[in-house]
Amino acid sequence: MNTNVQRNRNILIAVDESDNAKRAVSYVKDLLAGLQGFHITITTIIPQPPEDYFLTQEGKDAWIDDHAKTARRTLEDYRQIFMQAGFREEDVASHLVMKECFSLAECILDEQKRLSCGTVVIGRRGLSRKEEFMFGSTSNKILHTAKDCSVWVIG
Amino acid sequence: MHEKAPSGQQQFSPDDLKERIAQWLGPERVPKRLNVITDTSDFYRVDYDDVVILGDRPYLIRNNEREGRFGIDDQQKYWVKRARDLSDGSVKIIKFVFREQFEAHVGGIVFDCYRSPQKEARILDLTRDHPRFMHGFSICDESKNVIRILKFIKGKTLADSVLLLGTTHEDYFYNQLPHVLDEFIDLVQAIQFLHNSKEKHGDIRRDHIIKDAETGLARWIDFDFNYLHKENMFGYDLFGLGNILVYLIGRGDVTVQKLQQESSPAMNQITSNDVNIIFNNRVVNLRKVYPYIPETLNIILLHFSAGANIYYETTEQLLHDLLEAREDLNHV
Repeated sequence: MNTNVQRNRNILIAVDESDNAKRAVSYVKDLLAGLQGFHITITTIIPQPPEDYFLTQEGKDAWIDDHAKTARRTLEDYRQIFMQAGFREEDVASHLVMKECFSLAECILDEQKRLSCGTVVIGRRGLSRKEEFMFGSTSNKILHTAKDCSVWVIG
Repeated sequence: MHEKAPSGQQQFSPDDLKERIAQWLGPERVPKRLNVITDTSDFYRVDYDDVVILGDRPYLIRNNEREGRFGIDDQQKYWVKRARDLSDGSVKIIKFVFREQFEAHVGGIVFDCYRSPQKEARILDLTRDHPRFMHGFSICDESKNVIRILKFIKGKTLADSVLLLGTTHEDYFYNQLPHVLDEFIDLVQAIQFLHNSKEKHGDIRRDHIIKDAETGLARWIDFDFNYLHKENMFGYDLFGLGNILVYLIGRGDVTVQKLQQESSPAMNQITSNDVNIIFNNRVVNLRKVYPYIPETLNIILLHFSAGANIYYETTEQLLHDLLEAREDLNHV
């Protein structure tokens, strides 16, 4: 198989605990179930607040622990969705990244590059206009800035 | 970044401190009993006439600073004190460590905010030579609290000073707004400088710009607020800049209620798309109220309207349009 095809079949699904992320996972599962040659990485990126956000070290540790536990549980739930649809264990990976992100979209695309994924899948959050105005939209940013990869936005 | 405080109490004898107070404030102002503080952890216990020693300088504490916010005028900020530097007699603002986390609610949107002395200290350091920011430095007290010592800026807020300009809005528009806009462009460039350093102002609003009576320059103040951003790190800062710009061009808030009270003919044309995307009572499509506002300037305002399809994501984008609109003002 040529390298480009292999890369395109290396798929990154960026998820959180939201329903739209679950829809993105289900979409990929429905689309690719029964097909060979695809590798899927389900990734959660948790933007960690800056150091000075936390009032105490204990507060920071608890925050990290709490968010990591929830994310790991969600990732495992999503991985099981693929397992139950007959995907092979070695074709579906999951991993968690926790770091300070100036932009979540940039952090997702950093992962896409690091893992050499040719396809990025994200759910659209359905932000209100006010929210998008004030804080921006991750899916829009990925659509506008992604290079050398395809982007699937699941609504 | 922070200077470390030497042990203060041994540095200054009570007589020495009293002598300094008499020198700078007059003998009648010397307190009978001096309370000298080197650990400011409990800032509620730092009172009027106490002496706080930070680094190698003693400060005589005066009143709490006040701030109008959320409609409550003159809210006391117990952690912010006016003080006299007993080394040179200058007036300083001293900000003690007050840390808080809270949810902000703006126009129905909820987001996490916090107050960070460290952030303010970083920005003071970053902007120490920038004329568009308040100046000062940070120093740790005996308990390693990051205290900020600020030069007092004498002057009105930019918002208040604008209200005094021009006899009518039209007079203001033709004769004053070009200068006001120049000032605003400089202020946006100052925020761009912060953003380029990956720092937010965090609390951009019109009463956080003081028109320095000494230099005539408008300057940003108060950098200790921060918010947990989502996709666009600077979105909330840009929202603040938009609000100020609308205010400056309108020479005050132009609200739907005000237009109704004045039976303004513009009311027949104002639609739900013409108001601020977050504060729905403020009109931002000001060209409908003041038709002499040029299109290029008005288009900038529309980026902050409920009808906007495209928003500014960076100060660079806003500045690009502002400079173009400013150029057009030379030809009206």
